[in-house]
Amino acid sequence: MIFPEGASARTSPAAVAGRVYDVVIVGAGIAGAVIADRLSREGRSVLVLEAAPAEDLTIKGYEAYLTDFYAAASKDNQSPYPVIEPVPMPRSTDARPIRPGGPNTNGYLVQNGPHSTDTTYTRVLGGTTMHWEGKILRMLPQDFELAEQRGQGPKWPLGYADLEPFYREAEREIGVSADIEDQRYLGLTYPPNYVFPMRGLPPSYLDQMVARGVDGTRVELDGEEFSLKVRPFPQGRNGIPNPAYDAGRGFVPVGAVSTSQVDEGERCQGNNNCVPLCPVQAKYHAGKTLAKALDRNVDLLAQSVAYQVHTDPETGRVTQIEYRHYHDPNSAEYQTGFARGRTYVLATNAIENARLMLASGLQSRSDLVGRNLMDHAYLLTWALLPEIAGTMRGTNCTSGIVDLRGGRFRRDQASFSIDIHNDGWGWPTGAPVSDLVRIVDQNTYGFDLRRSLVDQVSRQLLFAHMIEVLAEPENRVTVDPRYRDRLGNMRPVISFRVPDYTMRGAAFARRLSRQLFERLGAQDHTSYDPSEYGYVEFEGEGYRILGGNHLAGTHIMGTSPGTSVVDDNQRSWEHENLYLVGGGSMPTIGTANTTVTATALCLRTARHLLHELRHQDQPVALATH
Amino acid sequence: MSLDDFVAFSSEVTGFTEFDLLGTGQAQSYRDTVAGVVGEQGLAELLSAYRREVTELSDEQLRAEQLTRSVLGDPRLGPLARNIIKLWYCGVWFGLPGHEDTFTASPQAYPQGLLWYAIGANPPGARAPGYGSWAGPPRIPALPASPIPRSLTRNPSAG
Repeated sequence: MIFPEGASARTSPAAVAGRVYDVVIVGAGIAGAVIADRLSREGRSVLVLEAAPAEDLTIKGYEAYLTDFYAAASKDNQSPYPVIEPVPMPRSTDARPIRPGGPNTNGYLVQNGPHSTDTTYTRVLGGTTMHWEGKILRMLPQDFELAEQRGQGPKWPLGYADLEPFYREAEREIGVSADIEDQRYLGLTYPPNYVFPMRGLPPSYLDQMVARGVDGTRVELDGEEFSLKVRPFPQGRNGIPNPAYDAGRGFVPVGAVSTSQVDEGERCQGNNNCVPLCPVQAKYHAGKTLAKALDRNVDLLAQSVAYQVHTDPETGRVTQIEYRHYHDPNSAEYQTGFARGRTYVLATNAIENARLMLASGLQSRSDLVGRNLMDHAYLLTWALLPEIAGTMRGTNCTSGIVDLRGGRFRRDQASFSIDIHNDGWGWPTGAPVSDLVRIVDQNTYGFDLRRSLVDQVSRQLLFAHMIEVLAEPENRVTVDPRYRDRLGNMRPVISFRVPDYTMRGAAFARRLSRQLFERLGAQDHTSYDPSEYGYVEFEGEGYRILGGNHLAGTHIMGTSPGTSVVDDNQRSWEHENLYLVGGGSMPTIGTANTTVTATALCLRTARHLLHELRHQDQPVALATH
Repeated sequence: MSLDDFVAFSSEVTGFTEFDLLGTGQAQSYRDTVAGVVGEQGLAELLSAYRREVTELSDEQLRAEQLTRSVLGDPRLGPLARNIIKLWYCGVWFGLPGHEDTFTASPQAYPQGLLWYAIGANPPGARAPGYGSWAGPPRIPALPASPIPRSLTRNPSAG
């Protein structure tokens, strides 16, 4: 994918000040990128404000991320991305248990607790799609009807059938690899003859070993019986194009982005590093969509952090966005600028969208902006298999168990899906480097060291249970003028408690994993340390709940201004020309990583915006007498 | 102490041949990293102890016992020796009392880490094995014929 040369520096604060765009978008992640792309296709003028620095996307620039990752002693999920003063971002290494008496202000997120989260998002060009894993499940039809069917969660103003065409459009945009026959379960439906753009990635050797032990396991829950099966996940990374795609027209994968042609990234190479950075760009990132949009004269103004959304007190309409533009990423000096458009789209992510609205004094009359913060709760369990399973190979995760994503039990407890992690115990224990350190510190060296590593790493099995979290008004983002970043922006203050509904799911998941480990003849090594962040006690047992980086719910959509912040087009009820887009609009998150649903919602919003703008363009018909 | 001495010692403690170690392209960088932290004198002490106490023994059992006792078990030399193993395996120098900094020897060190090679995998984000390679069993490399570095055998050209 060619990035148009010079596009990252085509405009300036001075040039922007003199224009009124059709649409001003805040945030150059996937949500902002797809809206910019769709609007510019029809000739609409678009400005994208991006907080992070943005040079033209080149292989050289991308490889600077990779070099920083190689050089980092701690390879956490933000390690490739530069930390700069004007645009701080959350990092898992900043998470700490929260002590009574005050919030943890250690990292960018001010954490009130009681739960301390290590959730992150990435404030670079392309946003969190730079570091995402790229597992890309649609939500189930029943996830949109949880309120009606099970009496849980707020109601959606639209259903699976409404979103289905946009899921397909998102799957094309992102480039999804999956075999359709693996993705028909729990009511997931597709039009006849639909196939994914690319064939499914082969399951790992580890997946196959787990499948031999797990497939056919029967589980009873709330009077329903489930039969478990290891199943490949759809992936937002390039595989082998399916010639049957698009009624036989096939699919051409989008590879690495650079200002000159690069033949790289058109197929996954098994780097096992989807998070935090795919070295070849076989994994989708929003730069691929941005490159298309920028080729159509979309303006990108980087190093411009939205500071305040200004509105007309009479009409509620947004009049301009005030931003702080910094020249030097190593300094907090800035100049104030203003961006004006006919419509405005906040596409920064669930936490930052709410933060910006609240910092602008734009709480809704329903008092729902920032409330209902959701993120998947991850419970990890880990064990040693009896045989060498070849752990640490493949993409981060190729398969899992999804049979408990839906069922009657959701009236009482959270659903979950189980990821089989190809990177072993890396997430909870820091394997395999932690294993190396432990083994060497026992004075094991030479051949014994090599044998021990094979024995203790290549048999590792990790189940990551991605557990549903429902909207709870008290789980929220707020701002507090006492906590600001170096540019003067108020930092997000997070209050979060893991709901009991989720913990009942977690307790069930823990019991189930004991049973599955036993079937596999695997030795359970799971332990949760009460002194670590994320520790939760529930009904007498201890668990550790980690963040999923699937942020949602801070401006949920609904059917009325009293119960929601935006309508089904993600349009603010109270600010007619303002759209809050992305995961924040989702009233429930089910057990699907949020990106494909958020993207489908944004594609739907783009279609609506095009319609709206056309409508506004029509001359007003004057009555004639 | 020469680079050869450093590589011979490294070969015996890592379980990889000198050929494998030189093939990473990191030998000089690692030697300099170690000397940079503990000084030329510190590194020389370790390599001399190894030469003096271990290299003359041809019985593998005796050799292992002596290496464990006189080098790895030595309160001063042990931490340094273990750090050299870790450096070869993952490219990271771990902080020690008196030298607290933990750092990667260089960006090129990590992709050359022996840890992943030893288990038939690749360092995440580097040395990609190719599409679909993960679907088959791992190919775990065989151990060398002898734990004794070839440069230390009486007749280096033999065998």
